[in-house]
Amino acid sequence: MFVRSSSKGWSRVAAISWRGALQRFSFVFFIVMALLLLILGRVQPMAVDSIRIRTIDTLAPTLDAVSRPMTLINNTLSNMEGYFALRQENRKLREANAQLKDWQNSVAILEKENHELQALLHFKVEPNLAYISARVIADTGGSFSRGLIVTAGRTDGVREGMAAMTGDGLIGRVVEVGDWSSRIMLITDLNSRIPVTITGTNDRAILAGNNSPLPKLLYLPQDAVLTIGSHIVTSGHGGVFPPNLPVGLITADYGHGNYGLVPTADLGRVNYVRLVDFNLKGGIFNTIATRVETEGKSKKH
Amino acid sequence: MISSVWHRLDHGARHTLPVATTLLCCLFGVVAWPLPYLGTVSPPLALMAVYYWTIHRPDLFGTAAAFLIGLLNDLLNDLPPGLSAFLFVATHEIIYRQRRFIAGHSFFMTWSGFAATTLICFFLEWLMLQMIHWQGIPLLPIFMQAILAIVFFPLPCWLFIWLQRTALSQS
Repeated sequence: MFVRSSSKGWSRVAAISWRGALQRFSFVFFIVMALLLLILGRVQPMAVDSIRIRTIDTLAPTLDAVSRPMTLINNTLSNMEGYFALRQENRKLREANAQLKDWQNSVAILEKENHELQALLHFKVEPNLAYISARVIADTGGSFSRGLIVTAGRTDGVREGMAAMTGDGLIGRVVEVGDWSSRIMLITDLNSRIPVTITGTNDRAILAGNNSPLPKLLYLPQDAVLTIGSHIVTSGHGGVFPPNLPVGLITADYGHGNYGLVPTADLGRVNYVRLVDFNLKGGIFNTIATRVETEGKSKKH
Repeated sequence: MISSVWHRLDHGARHTLPVATTLLCCLFGVVAWPLPYLGTVSPPLALMAVYYWTIHRPDLFGTAAAFLIGLLNDLLNDLPPGLSAFLFVATHEIIYRQRRFIAGHSFFMTWSGFAATTLICFFLEWLMLQMIHWQGIPLLPIFMQAILAIVFFPLPCWLFIWLQRTALSQS
């Protein structure tokens, strides 16, 4: 009797210690794997990006389904806000309408004058821009990175470097393209740097994201004096974006050349985006594309 | 014979529940939750699920599951691959060792444990990301997100408890 209970006890102890050893081994194994992946991500970023976009592409239909209830809630909240602000909105619209009627006459005169001057200068009119509308299915990163995943990919004509816009202005650019989905890096992302100009003073700066909802202005001239309410628009330098796309608005002057700004588009409530191809030759994506094309041609020869 | 097969399938499906819910939490985690004055924040639902299932069903939610879901979280959230995987595996290991202490007390203890886990995880993530990107990341939005996650925790936790009681009570 004693012998039987003793052997049972030993086998239980052995099972527990075996389970404990296995748990410890798997912990060490997966921690090492995670650290190796972190190193691999630094050494082979292109391979990691390719895996990332393939995963997003595969999960895009599921993400689409999961995001629908949230989009519905967003739309319902916006509608409710609209109903509550209806009277005030109506008054504002009447005032705006009266103002617009005045402007309409001025625009007609200016348009006529513009056509005449363009004809005089043999001005080359820019071709119509290609754009793709896409629905946002995921808002990635939380506080650590700022990006969106949209339901349009290579099959829809999306390419890396395209500008992502809403009706209010520029929100970011396409950084990864899959067959059915794409990832957009927002202007508030830590890695986002956009050459901008401040309207009125024409001072140049770099709009830098820092993962907070409010990006910063870097490399602003020391003697620059900006007024609150000034618009920040793309400068067109670097060839990624064309000039004069609205990006932000100066909202505060903290002194010593520090200014507070907000993006013109409400980045927290983006449900649909417009991906615009400006056919520009600049930017890292086009440099890579040109290099690949050149290498391909030289191999053929 | 047929009933035995169905029984086995049902049993298998119930046993995948912790991994399936954590996976679903990971997908729900990337959907934007616009809240006034907080910008775009999404509570770390996957971390909540990892924490809960490690305490209550570690037999059905192993280190491999924590690692793979962490990796998926990294790929979806544009984080360096391996970062969430590292944090989820570390959380799994620490909580696994403390689970008897946490589970043996009231819900307040579970909540406090989650609060400590979240704060440590977010701080480590912030620190590691700064080292990887080699530039400063503001701490305030991260702190706000962690606080929101702590406040929000009872809601998904209640869902996990309900799922555990209805689907896993017999096994």
